[in-house]
Amino acid sequence: MSKNHKAAPMVDEVSEFEILELAVRELAIEKGLFTQEDHNAWTDYMHTLSPIPAARLVAKAWLDPEYKKLCIEDGVKASLEVGIDWINQMPTKFGTPSDYCNLRVMADTPTLKHVVVCTLCSCYPRPILGQSPEWYRTPNYRRRLVRWPRQVLAEFGMQLSEEVEVRVVDSNQKTRYIVMPERPKGTEGWTEDQLTEIVTRDCLIGTALPKPGKTANDKRYVRPAVNPYGH
Amino acid sequence: MSKPHYDLEHHVKKATGIGDPQCFKGEAGKAKFKVGDKVKVRDISDLFYTRTPMYTRGLEATVVRLVYETPPAEDEAWDNTENVEWMYSVLFKQKDLWPEYSDTFSSDTLETEIPEHGLEPA
Repeated sequence: MSKNHKAAPMVDEVSEFEILELAVRELAIEKGLFTQEDHNAWTDYMHTLSPIPAARLVAKAWLDPEYKKLCIEDGVKASLEVGIDWINQMPTKFGTPSDYCNLRVMADTPTLKHVVVCTLCSCYPRPILGQSPEWYRTPNYRRRLVRWPRQVLAEFGMQLSEEVEVRVVDSNQKTRYIVMPERPKGTEGWTEDQLTEIVTRDCLIGTALPKPGKTANDKRYVRPAVNPYGH
Repeated sequence: MSKPHYDLEHHVKKATGIGDPQCFKGEAGKAKFKVGDKVKVRDISDLFYTRTPMYTRGLEATVVRLVYETPPAEDEAWDNTENVEWMYSVLFKQKDLWPEYSDTFSSDTLETEIPEHGLEPA
Protein backbone atom coordinates (compact mmCIF):
# COMPACT_ATOMS: atom_id res chain seq x y z
CA MET A 1 0.00 0.00 0.00
CA SER A 2 1.53 3.33 -0.99
CA LYS A 3 2.01 5.93 1.69
CA ASN A 4 -0.22 8.27 -0.31
CA HIS A 5 -3.12 5.92 0.09
CA LYS A 6 -5.91 7.37 2.19
CA ALA A 7 -8.45 5.24 3.96
CA ALA A 8 -11.79 5.72 2.22
CA PRO A 9 -15.18 4.44 3.30
CA MET A 10 -16.34 1.31 1.49
CA VAL A 11 -19.66 2.95 0.72
CA ASP A 12 -19.71 6.59 -0.29
CA GLU A 13 -23.30 7.35 0.42
CA VAL A 14 -25.92 6.21 2.84
CA SER A 15 -29.39 7.46 1.97
CA GLU A 16 -31.22 9.70 4.40
CA PHE A 17 -33.92 7.07 4.78
CA GLU A 18 -31.35 4.50 5.84
CA ILE A 19 -30.04 6.91 8.47
CA LEU A 20 -33.60 7.67 9.58
CA GLU A 21 -34.47 3.97 9.87
CA LEU A 22 -31.33 3.30 11.88
CA ALA A 23 -31.95 6.26 14.18
CA VAL A 24 -35.60 5.33 14.82
CA ARG A 25 -34.70 1.68 15.32
CA GLU A 26 -31.97 2.52 17.85
CA LEU A 27 -34.25 4.92 19.71
CA ALA A 28 -37.01 2.30 19.83
CA ILE A 29 -34.58 -0.27 21.23
CA GLU A 30 -33.22 2.25 23.77
CA LYS A 31 -36.76 3.07 24.87
CA GLY A 32 -37.52 -0.62 25.25
CA LEU A 33 -40.30 -0.80 22.64
CA PHE A 34 -38.61 -3.88 21.22
CA THR A 35 -35.24 -5.56 21.50
CA GLN A 36 -32.52 -6.17 18.95
CA GLU A 37 -33.52 -9.83 19.22
CA ASP A 38 -37.10 -8.95 18.19
CA HIS A 39 -35.73 -6.99 15.25
CA ASN A 40 -33.58 -9.93 14.16
CA ALA A 41 -36.54 -12.32 14.43
CA TRP A 42 -38.68 -9.99 12.32
CA THR A 43 -35.97 -9.58 9.68
CA ASP A 44 -35.44 -13.35 9.50
CA TYR A 45 -39.18 -13.87 9.13
CA MET A 46 -39.36 -11.28 6.31
CA HIS A 47 -36.75 -13.22 4.38
CA THR A 48 -38.86 -16.39 4.44
CA LEU A 49 -41.74 -14.78 2.52
CA SER A 50 -42.44 -15.55 -1.15
CA PRO A 51 -45.28 -15.45 -3.71
CA ILE A 52 -45.68 -19.25 -3.66
CA PRO A 53 -48.59 -19.35 -1.15
CA ALA A 54 -50.54 -16.83 -3.24
CA ALA A 55 -49.86 -18.87 -6.39
CA ARG A 56 -51.19 -21.97 -4.65
CA LEU A 57 -54.26 -20.09 -3.46
CA VAL A 58 -55.10 -19.21 -7.07
CA ALA A 59 -54.42 -22.76 -8.29
CA LYS A 60 -56.68 -24.20 -5.57
CA ALA A 61 -59.43 -21.76 -6.47
CA TRP A 62 -59.20 -22.75 -10.14
CA LEU A 63 -59.86 -26.35 -9.11
CA ASP A 64 -62.45 -25.73 -6.40
CA PRO A 65 -65.33 -23.28 -7.00
CA GLU A 66 -66.30 -23.36 -3.31
CA TYR A 67 -62.77 -22.32 -2.31
CA LYS A 68 -62.86 -19.58 -4.95
CA LYS A 69 -65.99 -18.17 -3.28
CA LEU A 70 -64.20 -18.18 0.08
CA CYS A 71 -61.21 -16.37 -1.46
CA ILE A 72 -63.44 -13.59 -2.76
CA GLU A 73 -65.43 -13.37 0.47
CA ASP A 74 -62.62 -13.64 3.05
CA GLY A 75 -59.03 -13.61 1.77
CA VAL A 76 -57.53 -13.89 5.26
CA LYS A 77 -59.49 -17.07 6.00
CA ALA A 78 -58.73 -18.52 2.55
CA SER A 79 -55.00 -17.90 3.17
CA LEU A 80 -55.06 -20.39 6.05
CA GLU A 81 -55.49 -23.24 3.56
CA VAL A 82 -52.21 -22.33 1.87
CA GLY A 83 -50.37 -22.08 5.17
CA ILE A 84 -50.52 -18.32 5.72
CA ASP A 85 -52.03 -17.09 8.97
CA TRP A 86 -52.18 -13.30 8.63
CA ILE A 87 -52.91 -12.86 12.31
CA ASN A 88 -50.92 -15.37 14.34
CA GLN A 89 -47.94 -16.23 12.16
CA MET A 90 -46.05 -12.99 12.56
CA PRO A 91 -43.31 -12.86 15.20
CA THR A 92 -45.23 -10.02 16.87
CA LYS A 93 -48.61 -11.81 16.74
CA PHE A 94 -50.49 -8.63 15.88
CA GLY A 95 -49.01 -6.74 12.95
CA THR A 96 -47.89 -7.95 9.56
CA PRO A 97 -45.11 -6.74 7.29
CA SER A 98 -47.99 -5.19 5.31
CA ASP A 99 -49.11 -3.42 8.50
CA TYR A 100 -52.64 -4.76 8.30
CA CYS A 101 -54.50 -8.07 8.10
CA ASN A 102 -57.06 -7.53 5.37
CA LEU A 103 -56.62 -9.39 2.09
CA ARG A 104 -58.93 -9.15 -0.89
CA VAL A 105 -58.64 -11.54 -3.80
CA MET A 106 -59.73 -9.78 -6.99
CA ALA A 107 -61.08 -12.40 -9.39
CA ASP A 108 -60.75 -11.66 -13.10
CA THR A 109 -63.44 -12.76 -15.55
CA PRO A 110 -63.27 -13.02 -19.36
CA THR A 111 -64.43 -9.38 -19.47
CA LEU A 112 -62.71 -7.96 -16.38
CA LYS A 113 -58.97 -7.60 -15.70
CA HIS A 114 -57.65 -6.33 -12.36
CA VAL A 115 -54.26 -4.74 -11.79
CA VAL A 116 -52.94 -3.52 -8.42
CA VAL A 117 -50.99 -0.40 -7.51
CA CYS A 118 -50.37 1.66 -4.40
CA THR A 119 -50.22 5.31 -5.43
CA LEU A 120 -49.42 6.42 -1.87
CA CYS A 121 -46.25 4.40 -1.46
CA SER A 122 -45.89 0.64 -1.83
CA CYS A 123 -48.62 -1.28 0.07
CA TYR A 124 -48.26 -4.93 -0.89
CA PRO A 125 -49.62 -8.16 0.64
CA ARG A 126 -46.22 -9.30 1.90
CA PRO A 127 -47.33 -12.21 4.12
CA ILE A 128 -48.67 -14.04 1.07
CA LEU A 129 -46.71 -12.43 -1.80
CA GLY A 130 -43.24 -11.74 -0.34
CA GLN A 131 -41.33 -8.55 -1.08
CA SER A 132 -42.56 -6.27 -3.83
CA PRO A 133 -40.53 -5.95 -7.02
CA GLU A 134 -38.51 -2.78 -7.39
CA TRP A 135 -40.65 -1.42 -10.24
CA TYR A 136 -43.82 -1.72 -8.13
CA ARG A 137 -42.41 0.91 -5.76
CA THR A 138 -41.31 3.39 -8.42
CA PRO A 139 -43.18 6.69 -8.85
CA ASN A 140 -43.22 5.91 -12.58
CA TYR A 141 -45.42 2.80 -12.19
CA ARG A 142 -47.51 4.33 -9.39
CA ARG A 143 -48.47 7.55 -11.08
CA ARG A 144 -48.88 6.16 -14.58
CA LEU A 145 -50.86 2.99 -13.88
CA VAL A 146 -53.90 4.81 -12.48
CA ARG A 147 -54.07 7.15 -15.45
CA TRP A 148 -52.79 5.14 -18.40
CA PRO A 149 -53.39 1.53 -17.33
CA ARG A 150 -53.62 0.08 -20.83
CA GLN A 151 -50.42 1.78 -21.95
CA VAL A 152 -48.55 0.55 -18.88
CA LEU A 153 -49.92 -2.98 -19.30
CA ALA A 154 -48.84 -2.88 -22.95
CA GLU A 155 -45.32 -2.16 -21.75
CA PHE A 156 -45.60 -5.35 -19.71
CA GLY A 157 -46.58 -7.15 -22.92
CA MET A 158 -50.33 -7.30 -22.27
CA GLN A 159 -52.69 -5.84 -24.82
CA LEU A 160 -56.36 -6.16 -24.01
CA SER A 161 -59.34 -5.64 -26.28
CA GLU A 162 -62.01 -3.05 -25.65
CA GLU A 163 -64.43 -5.82 -24.58
CA VAL A 164 -62.30 -6.27 -21.47
CA GLU A 165 -62.83 -3.77 -18.64
CA VAL A 166 -59.50 -2.88 -17.03
CA ARG A 167 -59.96 -2.23 -13.32
CA VAL A 168 -57.08 -0.59 -11.49
CA VAL A 169 -57.11 -1.23 -7.74
CA ASP A 170 -55.42 1.49 -5.70
CA SER A 171 -54.31 0.02 -2.37
CA ASN A 172 -54.49 3.18 -0.27
CA GLN A 173 -55.95 2.00 3.06
CA LYS A 174 -55.89 -1.21 5.15
CA THR A 175 -56.75 -3.72 2.43
CA ARG A 176 -54.02 -5.55 0.55
CA TYR A 177 -54.85 -7.15 -2.80
CA ILE A 178 -53.89 -10.04 -5.01
CA VAL A 179 -55.31 -10.71 -8.47
CA MET A 180 -56.81 -14.08 -9.36
CA PRO A 181 -56.36 -14.34 -13.13
CA GLU A 182 -58.50 -16.54 -15.38
CA ARG A 183 -57.27 -20.12 -15.72
CA PRO A 184 -55.57 -20.27 -19.13
CA LYS A 185 -56.52 -22.69 -21.91
CA GLY A 186 -54.24 -25.68 -22.30
CA THR A 187 -54.21 -26.52 -18.59
CA GLU A 188 -57.09 -29.01 -18.65
CA GLY A 189 -56.50 -31.91 -16.28
CA TRP A 190 -53.53 -30.25 -14.59
CA THR A 191 -52.83 -30.86 -10.90
CA GLU A 192 -52.71 -28.13 -8.24
CA ASP A 193 -48.88 -28.32 -8.25
CA GLN A 194 -48.71 -27.87 -12.02
CA LEU A 195 -51.11 -24.93 -11.92
CA THR A 196 -49.23 -23.28 -9.03
CA GLU A 197 -46.07 -23.16 -11.16
CA ILE A 198 -47.57 -20.91 -13.82
CA VAL A 199 -49.06 -18.33 -11.41
CA THR A 200 -46.10 -15.97 -11.26
CA ARG A 201 -45.71 -12.94 -9.03
CA ASP A 202 -46.55 -10.61 -11.92
CA CYS A 203 -49.78 -12.57 -12.56
CA LEU A 204 -50.72 -11.94 -8.93
CA ILE A 205 -50.09 -8.20 -9.22
CA GLY A 206 -52.06 -8.21 -12.47
CA THR A 207 -49.36 -7.14 -14.91
CA ALA A 208 -49.07 -10.57 -16.57
CA LEU A 209 -51.34 -13.44 -17.60
CA PRO A 210 -50.61 -17.07 -16.76
CA LYS A 211 -49.59 -19.26 -19.68
CA PRO A 212 -48.80 -22.97 -19.88
CA GLY A 213 -45.04 -23.43 -19.83
CA LYS A 214 -44.32 -19.97 -18.47
CA THR A 215 -43.09 -20.30 -14.89
CA ALA A 216 -41.07 -17.09 -14.44
CA ASN A 217 -41.73 -13.37 -14.62
CA ASP A 218 -40.92 -11.72 -17.92
CA LYS A 219 -37.61 -9.95 -18.10
CA ARG A 220 -38.05 -6.18 -18.03
CA TYR A 221 -36.63 -4.30 -20.98
CA VAL A 222 -33.48 -2.46 -19.96
CA ARG A 223 -31.29 -0.16 -22.00
CA PRO A 224 -27.94 -1.84 -22.65
CA ALA A 225 -24.99 -0.21 -20.92
CA VAL A 226 -23.16 2.14 -23.27
CA ASN A 227 -19.85 1.73 -21.49
CA PRO A 228 -20.09 -1.66 -19.81
CA TYR A 229 -17.57 -2.15 -17.02
CA GLY A 230 -14.72 -4.51 -17.81
CA HIS A 231 -15.25 -4.75 -21.58
CA MET B 1 -45.71 18.25 36.44
CA SER B 2 -46.27 14.54 36.49
CA LYS B 3 -45.02 12.40 33.67
CA PRO B 4 -47.74 11.69 31.11
CA HIS B 5 -48.79 8.08 30.92
CA TYR B 6 -48.77 6.43 27.52
CA ASP B 7 -50.23 2.97 27.27
CA LEU B 8 -47.89 1.83 24.56
CA GLU B 9 -49.35 -1.67 24.60
CA HIS B 10 -52.91 -0.52 23.95
CA HIS B 11 -53.02 -1.50 20.29
CA VAL B 12 -51.04 -4.68 20.86
CA LYS B 13 -53.52 -5.86 23.50
CA LYS B 14 -56.43 -5.11 21.24
CA ALA B 15 -55.13 -6.60 18.00
CA THR B 16 -53.15 -9.65 19.16
CA GLY B 17 -54.75 -12.84 17.90
CA ILE B 18 -57.53 -10.83 16.22
CA GLY B 19 -55.82 -8.66 13.62
CA ASP B 20 -56.15 -5.08 12.50
CA PRO B 21 -58.69 -3.89 11.17
CA GLN B 22 -60.62 -6.93 12.53
CA CYS B 23 -60.12 -5.69 16.12
CA PHE B 24 -62.40 -2.68 15.46
CA LYS B 25 -65.33 -4.77 14.24
CA GLY B 26 -68.68 -3.63 15.57
CA GLU B 27 -67.45 -0.22 16.79
CA ALA B 28 -68.52 1.98 13.88
CA GLY B 29 -72.26 1.71 14.33
CA LYS B 30 -74.67 1.86 11.44
CA ALA B 31 -73.12 2.39 8.02
CA LYS B 32 -74.23 5.55 6.24
CA PHE B 33 -73.97 4.04 2.76
CA LYS B 34 -74.81 0.66 1.28
CA VAL B 35 -73.58 -1.28 -1.74
CA GLY B 36 -74.84 0.35 -4.94
CA ASP B 37 -75.09 3.88 -3.47
CA LYS B 38 -73.79 6.74 -5.56
CA VAL B 39 -71.35 8.78 -3.53
CA LYS B 40 -69.10 11.77 -3.98
CA VAL B 41 -65.62 12.14 -2.52
CA ARG B 42 -65.46 15.20 -0.28
CA ASP B 43 -62.64 17.58 -0.99
CA ILE B 44 -61.59 18.02 2.64
CA SER B 45 -58.29 19.29 3.97
CA ASP B 46 -55.40 16.95 3.34
CA LEU B 47 -53.40 18.46 6.18
CA PHE B 48 -53.98 15.39 8.37
CA TYR B 49 -56.07 13.06 6.24
CA THR B 50 -53.70 12.22 3.45
CA ARG B 51 -54.88 8.79 2.33
CA THR B 52 -57.74 9.81 0.04
CA PRO B 53 -56.03 10.24 -3.33
CA MET B 54 -56.19 13.78 -4.74
CA TYR B 55 -57.27 12.44 -8.13
CA THR B 56 -60.57 11.19 -6.63
CA ARG B 57 -61.56 14.41 -4.86
CA GLY B 58 -64.89 15.91 -5.77
CA LEU B 59 -65.75 13.02 -8.06
CA GLU B 60 -68.61 10.53 -8.10
CA ALA B 61 -68.29 6.81 -7.49
CA THR B 62 -70.38 3.76 -6.63
CA VAL B 63 -70.06 1.82 -3.38
CA VAL B 64 -69.13 -1.79 -4.23
CA ARG B 65 -68.30 -3.16 -0.77
CA LEU B 66 -68.36 -2.24 2.91
CA VAL B 67 -64.91 -3.56 3.67
CA TYR B 68 -64.21 -3.11 7.39
CA GLU B 69 -64.48 -0.74 10.34
CA THR B 70 -61.48 1.27 11.50
CA PRO B 71 -60.40 4.59 12.89
CA PRO B 72 -58.73 6.69 10.19
CA ALA B 73 -55.15 5.41 9.93
CA GLU B 74 -54.03 9.04 10.15
CA ASP B 75 -55.67 9.30 13.61
CA GLU B 76 -53.97 6.09 14.70
CA ALA B 77 -50.62 7.71 13.98
CA TRP B 78 -51.47 10.04 16.92
CA ASP B 79 -52.73 7.16 19.09
CA ASN B 80 -56.34 8.22 18.57
CA THR B 81 -58.65 5.27 17.97
CA GLU B 82 -61.87 6.93 19.12
CA ASN B 83 -63.54 7.64 15.81
CA VAL B 84 -64.09 4.19 14.33
CA GLU B 85 -65.94 4.42 11.00
CA TRP B 86 -66.87 2.30 8.00
CA MET B 87 -64.44 1.97 5.12
CA TYR B 88 -65.98 1.69 1.67
CA SER B 89 -64.54 0.23 -1.49
CA VAL B 90 -65.79 2.50 -4.25
CA LEU B 91 -65.65 2.23 -8.03
CA PHE B 92 -64.88 5.15 -10.34
CA LYS B 93 -65.21 5.32 -14.09
CA GLN B 94 -61.83 6.15 -15.57
CA LYS B 95 -63.60 8.64 -17.86
CA ASP B 96 -64.70 10.58 -14.75
CA LEU B 97 -61.21 10.62 -13.25
CA TRP B 98 -59.34 11.63 -16.39
CA PRO B 99 -61.28 13.69 -18.94
CA GLU B 100 -58.84 12.73 -21.71
CA TYR B 101 -59.32 8.98 -21.12
CA SER B 102 -60.06 7.20 -24.40
CA ASP B 103 -63.75 6.78 -25.31
CA THR B 104 -62.88 3.41 -26.83
CA PHE B 105 -62.15 2.11 -23.35
CA SER B 106 -64.98 3.91 -21.57
CA SER B 107 -65.85 0.79 -19.54
CA ASP B 108 -62.50 0.93 -17.68
CA THR B 109 -62.73 1.54 -13.95
CA LEU B 110 -60.70 2.17 -10.81
CA GLU B 111 -61.46 0.83 -7.34
CA THR B 112 -60.13 2.26 -4.08
CA GLU B 113 -61.10 2.65 -0.42
CA ILE B 114 -62.53 5.84 1.07
CA PRO B 115 -63.51 6.28 4.74
CA GLU B 116 -67.05 7.35 5.61
CA HIS B 117 -65.95 10.89 6.61
CA GLY B 118 -64.55 11.33 3.11
CA LEU B 119 -67.85 10.61 1.34
CA GLU B 120 -71.18 12.37 0.85
CA PRO B 121 -74.29 11.25 -1.06
CA ALA B 122 -74.00 12.11 -4.76
